[in-house]
Amino acid sequence: MDNFTIVGQKIPKIDAPVKATGDALYIQDIKVSGMLHGKILYSKYPHARILKLDTSKAETLPGVRAVVTAADMPPNFRIGVMKDNPPLKSGKTKSIRDEIAAVAAISTEVAEEALSLIEVEYEELPGIFDPIEAMQEGATLIHEEVKSNILKMPWKLVCGDVETAKKDSAHIVEDTFSTQWVTHCCMGTSGCIAQLDASNNLTLYSNTQIPSLAQNDFIEALNAFGYKNRRVRIIQSVIGGGFGSKLDTYAYEYIAILLAIKTRKPVKIIFSREEEFFATSPRQCTITKISQGCDKEGRLTFREIEMILDNGAYTSWGATTPSVMMLPISSLYKVPNIKYVAKCVYTNNTYCQAMRGYGNPQATFAIESSLDQLAEKAGIDPLEFRIRNSNEPGEITPQRFKITSCGMKECIDEVAKRLAWKTKKEHKGNRGVGIASLIHVGGGARVYKSDGCGTIIKMDDFGKVDVFTGASDIGQGSDTVIAQIVAEVLGIPIEDVNVVNNDTDICPWDVGVHASRTTFVAGNAALGAAKKIREQILEAAGKLLEEEPSFLDIKNSIIYSTKDKEKSTPLGKALRKIHYTLGGKMLMAEYFYDPANENFDREFKGNLSVSYAYGAHGVEVEVDKETGQVKILNYIAAHDVGKPINPLLLEGQIYGGGLQGIGYALGEKMIYKNGRLMNGNFLDYKMPTVKDVPPVQAVIVETDEKDGPFGAKGIGEPGLVPTAPAIANAIYDAVGVRIKDLPITPEKILKALKEKQGRT
Amino acid sequence: MKSYEYHKPKTIEEAISLMGSLEDAKFIAGGTDVMVLIKQKKISSKCMVSLRNIDGLAYIDTQNGLRIGSGTTHNTIDENGHIKRYYSALTDATSRLGSKQIRNVATIGGNICNAAPSADTACPLLALDAKAVIVGQNGSKTTSLDEFFLGPGKTILSKEELLKEFVMPLYGENTGSAYIKHTRRNAMDLPILGVATRITVSLPDENISRCKDMFCTIDSISNILERLKDEGVKCEDVMIAMGVVAPRPMRAKNAESVMKGKIVSSELFEEIGNIAAGEAQPRDSIRGEAWYRTEMIKVLVKRALIKSIDRVIRPDEAFYPERLW
Repeated sequence: MDNFTIVGQKIPKIDAPVKATGDALYIQDIKVSGMLHGKILYSKYPHARILKLDTSKAETLPGVRAVVTAADMPPNFRIGVMKDNPPLKSGKTKSIRDEIAAVAAISTEVAEEALSLIEVEYEELPGIFDPIEAMQEGATLIHEEVKSNILKMPWKLVCGDVETAKKDSAHIVEDTFSTQWVTHCCMGTSGCIAQLDASNNLTLYSNTQIPSLAQNDFIEALNAFGYKNRRVRIIQSVIGGGFGSKLDTYAYEYIAILLAIKTRKPVKIIFSREEEFFATSPRQCTITKISQGCDKEGRLTFREIEMILDNGAYTSWGATTPSVMMLPISSLYKVPNIKYVAKCVYTNNTYCQAMRGYGNPQATFAIESSLDQLAEKAGIDPLEFRIRNSNEPGEITPQRFKITSCGMKECIDEVAKRLAWKTKKEHKGNRGVGIASLIHVGGGARVYKSDGCGTIIKMDDFGKVDVFTGASDIGQGSDTVIAQIVAEVLGIPIEDVNVVNNDTDICPWDVGVHASRTTFVAGNAALGAAKKIREQILEAAGKLLEEEPSFLDIKNSIIYSTKDKEKSTPLGKALRKIHYTLGGKMLMAEYFYDPANENFDREFKGNLSVSYAYGAHGVEVEVDKETGQVKILNYIAAHDVGKPINPLLLEGQIYGGGLQGIGYALGEKMIYKNGRLMNGNFLDYKMPTVKDVPPVQAVIVETDEKDGPFGAKGIGEPGLVPTAPAIANAIYDAVGVRIKDLPITPEKILKALKEKQGRT
Repeated sequence: MKSYEYHKPKTIEEAISLMGSLEDAKFIAGGTDVMVLIKQKKISSKCMVSLRNIDGLAYIDTQNGLRIGSGTTHNTIDENGHIKRYYSALTDATSRLGSKQIRNVATIGGNICNAAPSADTACPLLALDAKAVIVGQNGSKTTSLDEFFLGPGKTILSKEELLKEFVMPLYGENTGSAYIKHTRRNAMDLPILGVATRITVSLPDENISRCKDMFCTIDSISNILERLKDEGVKCEDVMIAMGVVAPRPMRAKNAESVMKGKIVSSELFEEIGNIAAGEAQPRDSIRGEAWYRTEMIKVLVKRALIKSIDRVIRPDEAFYPERLW
């Protein structure tokens, strides 16, 4: 199957027309008969004791159907990775987004009015908003039941011997870098509708990116509510972006379930944009102390990192991002000796969650900034320095990643060529160039007990096919990629493939949209199922055409013999014959693909992914030395993606990731002041607009990944991983100041320039 | 969102009398500020009186100066070639306010009556010496825009008064203006700081072409200024307006009076920038720190002035290679 007609083509997203015309049904659009509207009352203070909570006035407001508080939740019911988060809080509030009470009413207006009638008396308590302060002995405990604000998640990775390597290094640099909270900015805000049937089975309409795991969470919740052994069905709406934000289940969903139980009506909770900003979980902010060394030839000798992460008041997947940070820390470039320790610390800030890259951007910012410092100290051109230390195919890294395909050097070469690195390095006039590379999982990631995805394929009487996949499409285009794979294998047009991916009653299990795994894992599952059904078709057609199945092929929905041109039949006709005959059958196939990757062992080592994605970003900037403003003149994003299944979507991921990375590097920041979000709106949260898009060249470096579907690797996250350090390095090259704290604002640059001027 | 009565008067008189008779009423024009405030529950008026259906509010009259009806949208102003040529600072503002979608509905009157310290058109109108024509129940009056603003969100308008139009003087070939909106983003952003300048210069005719040449180079501002000094370019009149540096858009009057009548030079521009910075009272906010705003006044006053002079000397370059200033 070499001459592909659909795989490898630039095919527009198959869901583009419904989205462009407004026909797509997002969670906001979905209505269920008899539905009530829920609203949540949040804490007025980031840290306070609730002295009084009186809901009586709200309850009597006409149109209100239920008012709930912590007292209505099952006692000791907690959610989250560490089970430290009661969906409704009582006693003490620990963050500004703490849910205190909720209302179900006939409209959102009535629900909002009811919230304003709930009387709460607080005793405001001094909060801890700085993780370093929270780590100190005697600091107020955020969770009184645990003895320390430092989470019992001891992230530690040791490979080789860093101390000896330090002694043997010719050059060593050490510095501290920090990153900010940023949020996903999904166009579609969070929301759900909870509906119980008469037997207390739950249907939850949702825009989650983890339907199967959410199902599991809600079964647990029903158990806690006393409804044992019930069914949970998750129906996903069209999802207006995820980026990791919908990778966990949240208090609002459990509150919707509680309200549905109380009212016996379906209850819908939709986040307003304001709630989406302050009540969802951003990317974890970090303080990273890093030290790296190299020998006289510029070969890396060691990398040592200590990191502190502000966990916020509760724990979601954000606290587990150090596991993915280990990937660049241990394996970005060849580094024989590694030491990494990370501490997640409870504070009264917002709690954090997965976001595209899952810790990798924070770690890579420190590593790649520091690498530039080391290259300078060693007197080696930063690009040359990276080539010298580049990863290679066949390598086994200190964390025991088995590198299969690796196009890192090629990516760096592309950057060098397209940026005219050598020429630009010499010029100046406030312009500069910078580079940074990336490694990320590209063949799934076994972070859960299974990294699998199931697919069922069913043929109809007309040669068309329904594909039921566990993989959710959150905008990344997985339905298009899956349709392409199936269409290619079956020799039918892509229009004849219908991908069903939104209902746990119908679709097989999938661990969720994370780890850039969907094309790889769900793609392989679809490929497996398609191959199986192709075999069935050809075997049955062989009987009809009196031909050996191995001589049969399908193209343009026609089954034909490659040996005897007379022998052919339209696919639909063959399927009907197979069906409408005595003992006939409808063709169906299923396939469950779980990649042969490994969970980390106790030392956090093991081959996490079947393959690894590489890339390098190069950027040319101009810095206005009077205002501190940065203008990106040219941006090269070269990615090793295996073989592209859909170059159009692939480029889309690179552009989108790059732009999200540029926002991360230069402008986006959730400004928290004493636990309160000060800029929870798109005016003051400086996500780049279309007018801020610099010229970006997406360069696809092809390698052949033997385990990937049609040779493909993942690309969902990599686009934003090296952006910030590439820009920081370019700014340093341009004007000689290194900004170590994201985002790189004009103020920081101007201040640094003035300090530099003062020194000289 | 709270519900409200919506009135659609057809004439200015009707609108004013409605405001007189309705309790708890507010004017709404393009709605791009008012609707947001309603949603944020910062406005909860029972009645909205729309100005959109009034015929005589949206116009641009370029005879003998410039008159712009308060109901004129930013986009209409943006597309007017005469304004672009002779009142360039205003186009600088209208072209960068919000987004195209916002500019298509938002009106210049609304931008001014909202009286935000960051209002994009306020600085150019101040620098262009605009007068506001206010209509009330007892007829109309004209006031300088400088007297119009009282504080954040506050103007001299009483409830029954309506801002009808802006009137600006005729400016000749020796006058140029510019507005610099200093932002973090290129669209959908408020300025960290805004500076508008209008300058009338005199320069010996025979020197014009040499001056043109120097603007075509990409020399530093101080070098260009030194050359302008050598050519004897003199500031006859100047106005400098600044936004987001005080509770209301303001003029840098001390800087103006120091500059008037002087030959331009690098030293003069430095001095003017510093004086203007001294007149401002910027604050720290999440949108920008005071020290940075003060520094930016020094930079942007200089840049706006030189951009204004550039427009005098090279009016036909009319839409100016985007240089760093």
